Amino acid sequence: MPKILIIEDEKNLRILYQQDFERDGFEVVTAATAAEGLAMVQDEAPDLVVMDIRLPGMDGLEAMSRLLDKNPKIPVVLNSAYSSYKDSFMSWSADAYVVKSADTGELRARVRELIASRADS
Amino acid sequence: MVDRRRTLLGDTLAIVMAGGQGERLYPLTRDRGKPAVPFGGIYRVIDFTLSNCLNSGLRKIYVLTQYKSGSLERHVRIGWGPLFNHELDEWIQCVPPQLRVGERWYLGTADAVYQNVYLLERERPRYVVVLSGDHIYKMDYARLIARHEANDAIVTVAAVEVPIAEASAVGVIAVDEESRITAFQEKPKDPIPLPGRPGTVLANMGVYVFDTETLVRALAVDARRESRHDFGYNILPALVDTKKVFAYSFIDENKKETAYWRDVGTLDSYYDASMDLVAVEPVFNLYDKNWPIRTMAQQLPPAKTVFAQEEPGGRLGIVLDSLVSGGAIVSGGRVERCVLGPEVRVNSYAKVVDSVLMDNVDIGRHARVTKAIIDKGVRIPASFVVGEDPEEDKRRFTVTPGGVVVIPRGTQLD
Repeated sequence: MPKILIIEDEKNLRILYQQDFERDGFEVVTAATAAEGLAMVQDEAPDLVVMDIRLPGMDGLEAMSRLLDKNPKIPVVLNSAYSSYKDSFMSWSADAYVVKSADTGELRARVRELIASRADS
Repeated sequence: MVDRRRTLLGDTLAIVMAGGQGERLYPLTRDRGKPAVPFGGIYRVIDFTLSNCLNSGLRKIYVLTQYKSGSLERHVRIGWGPLFNHELDEWIQCVPPQLRVGERWYLGTADAVYQNVYLLERERPRYVVVLSGDHIYKMDYARLIARHEANDAIVTVAAVEVPIAEASAVGVIAVDEESRITAFQEKPKDPIPLPGRPGTVLANMGVYVFDTETLVRALAVDARRESRHDFGYNILPALVDTKKVFAYSFIDENKKETAYWRDVGTLDSYYDASMDLVAVEPVFNLYDKNWPIRTMAQQLPPAKTVFAQEEPGGRLGIVLDSLVSGGAIVSGGRVERCVLGPEVRVNSYAKVVDSVLMDNVDIGRHARVTKAIIDKGVRIPASFVVGEDPEEDKRRFTVTPGGVVVIPRGTQLD
């Protein structure tokens, strides 16, 4: 079962994402900060990471750089309430950028695509 | 036209790669990176690229440093910093690795820029000019950028024509009739010659203009691949299929018969390039007022020769076919075909021939030095002989395949 790591500081979103992705057949682990998330990348070896950008302490863009430096093959989906970070050069290393919405449909679709394309390669 | 040119340059950021170790220049690079190696008496290798920037009107410059960058940082800050006016949005700044991306050194030239993408984010220039701080040449980058824009290119690669026999030592660029690049070959065994000119290939000079967004996207993709993270090997070949990658034929501001572009990458090529400067008609002209080469100016008294005792056995201070930097004193010794750095001293009855003496080298009385490179501050004792007995030299010093004796900084011979 593919494993997804969610890095998200809002507790309610973590719970929502966990439920939705588990329903889609994924194993889900979560982290509330970038530092915690980076540690879990090493310990849990997830197949994909969904991460927020505005996080307490280290932000998601810096965390993504660090994550990709050690694990360049792990797909990363940036998930922010703001679309403005799409213009940031630092966000261009992500495999996908999904603006947060009450409907998790788009996020889940992108995750499924990336996991599927990863399985193919 | 002038306004257009100004806008283009104002919207262009230059990144000078100055992180190379210069292993083949060892021991000159024992305490400094290759861009900081002194050249031509008063200059350092990076001064030629920085002079090109200044003479081209590029005034936003980041110098990416890495190994042993102390003397380079000081040279750029003191020698070049005052020429750029912060209030006019101009700057030159050395950037050592920031370890923002990961805790490691740069993996390649592309990784060096990738790790500093935040600098591009901050400035958001339209174009980025990527340069190497390792080469000696004169080039107007403004013409390169104008050509880039006229071609509606996403990348333009400056290229110099070299004989096909030299292709295996360079990055070769294959082009069509419209200078569109069709392939990159790194040090190829079967190089692709220029259309209609089987004896000539185009060599990649390591001078690139990128549309900034193209550059960032290409770096982001490359960073996640197994790759050498190198512009010539990885970034440029990956963009060829867009058909918007163009070559720009080097127009040499040196204005001699053959184009001058030297990678002083080995001790012998460094020595040869130095000796060219003392020729009556040097290939590389340091004296062109239309293309001044700048460096960190030092307040030094004029060079001087003393003792004019021309009778046999007399003390005669004499300098022939040489470059002599400020503060040098040739006191009763003889100097032929040499590059003398600042404050060099050559004492009575000494003879120095075909050599490069860097700052503050002191040649003792009756010493003889032939075909040598002597690094800063070395004292050659009285009656010491260098460059006459290869076996003896090899026991004590580095001797190059071309027979040049290299005496590094800090060598104690007394």
